[in-house]
Amino acid sequence: MFLSTAAKYISLSWEIIKINILSAMEYRISFLTQVFGMIVNDVGFALLWVIFFLKFPSVNGWTFQDSALLFAISTVSFSFVMISARGAHYLARNIAKGELDYFLSFPKNVLWHVSISKTEISAIGDLIFGFIIFFFSGSISFEKFGLFLIVSVFAAIIFFGFTIITQSLSFYFGNFEEAADQLFHALLGFTLYPQTTFYGALKFIMFTIIPAFFVATLPVELIKNFSWKWFLVLVVFAICIFIAAVIVFNRGLKKYESGNLINVKM
Amino acid sequence: MSEAKVLTIKSAFGYKFLKYFEIAKVNYYNSAAYLLNLLSRSATVILRIWIFAQLYKVTYAASGVSEIGGMTVAMIVWSLMMTQSFQSSTRPPISQLIDEEVKTGALAYSINRPYSYIFFHMAGFFGRSLPNLFINLSVGLLAALILVGPLDFSFYGIAFGMTLLFFGYILDFFINLIIGLLAFWVEDTSAFTWIYSKGQMIFGGIILPIALFPEYLQKIAEILPFSLMYYGAARIAVNFDFYLFQKFIFMQFVWIFVFGLSAIYLFNKGIKNVSINGG
Repeated sequence: MFLSTAAKYISLSWEIIKINILSAMEYRISFLTQVFGMIVNDVGFALLWVIFFLKFPSVNGWTFQDSALLFAISTVSFSFVMISARGAHYLARNIAKGELDYFLSFPKNVLWHVSISKTEISAIGDLIFGFIIFFFSGSISFEKFGLFLIVSVFAAIIFFGFTIITQSLSFYFGNFEEAADQLFHALLGFTLYPQTTFYGALKFIMFTIIPAFFVATLPVELIKNFSWKWFLVLVVFAICIFIAAVIVFNRGLKKYESGNLINVKM
Repeated sequence: MSEAKVLTIKSAFGYKFLKYFEIAKVNYYNSAAYLLNLLSRSATVILRIWIFAQLYKVTYAASGVSEIGGMTVAMIVWSLMMTQSFQSSTRPPISQLIDEEVKTGALAYSINRPYSYIFFHMAGFFGRSLPNLFINLSVGLLAALILVGPLDFSFYGIAFGMTLLFFGYILDFFINLIIGLLAFWVEDTSAFTWIYSKGQMIFGGIILPIALFPEYLQKIAEILPFSLMYYGAARIAVNFDFYLFQKFIFMQFVWIFVFGLSAIYLFNKGIKNVSINGG
């Protein structure tokens, strides 16, 4: 029963993402500008760290290759979320404006439907960049590439869970759109710097309020030196944050007040 | 010239200036009204400064140096605090606003009104950025004080830094205006906005101060427009150098001239499309 429902959701998700991408491809120039613009954008960011490591070749043992691996994981996991669940980032706005009504009228799960409703086309550029920069991360092998994909999926689940929790706070605090956006960017911000430079209270924040340790430090460490124990920690954390996100959203949904807005989606 | 005529010219000038001042004021109050947004932006500024403080403390310690390119860790953190505060005060980028006006046709209504479209947006840009700047700087100042301690600021450093910041805002405005106006010809200008912001990030001293660049790259970066918006102002404020100030302000004027003229040219060319299509 559970498996057949999950299979139906996966197949439906695939179809919706395909339609989202195909409809964006109708505007070919816009589509290509967004994808290649994002690749140029990401390459620019990598260049900044090339300059940094020209000056400081190693920071507490962290080299450019480690940063390349970090960018590969963060851009690929980020793009998984943005391609398949971009709608999650509009949740706070939908709640504050009373625009969730449209999703409430369907028989499928509301959280799933809101999340899958949008696809960020530029994230395809992130995905391509992530795969390319992975090959600059030093000793690569077939096993490491497989592991890279697996940890990226778990990092994506954490990104998604964190987004749902912060965006759902709008159910409780009213307009929380910008604050949720800033929190997400704070999480993303941690994934840009050498992970060996954080210590003290900042490290504590990375384990708790903004779980950057689980989307950046740990996945990189797992690919460099795999350990079952730490892999299990990543998996358990991803499952916990996902469950917490579903609970926060469902409880919040009971507080939702309709904006009496009737939308027709074409 | 008769006294009456001088007075008329003066009052006409005063009236025109007042108009743009009022536009800036409305945008100032509008931006300052959303306190939660301002605070969340400030929290991000604190977090970034904290990250930078740790990054550069560890990096300098690992390199075994206390000063690079005349910059200590404290100077770097203060300078990054300023560039971050200056740059994030202009968010969301005005290019998005203009892009939207062009695409929705709202621009057609603006250009018929008794003000210059470009000066209207410039006044709005300053008005919106100021409250953000005050909050970002106050919060950033506290964070930098706690994280790396005070810095020996000079009066000249602050005065000349503020001058560079003023022209830096104008330069940033013109480049954003050009990106927004490109919506007349391209479907989506967001890619240009990303690339521009990445140019600012690499060569604008937002994450890595240009003083830490290898020398050949430093020379290139210092003449590019990206470093002349906010890095120049921050660099002069934390470590005053009159020769460098002259170099920065000269290059600022050159770029403002180039981008200002290009923006006016594109605007005039673009609005012809508006009248042809009927708005």
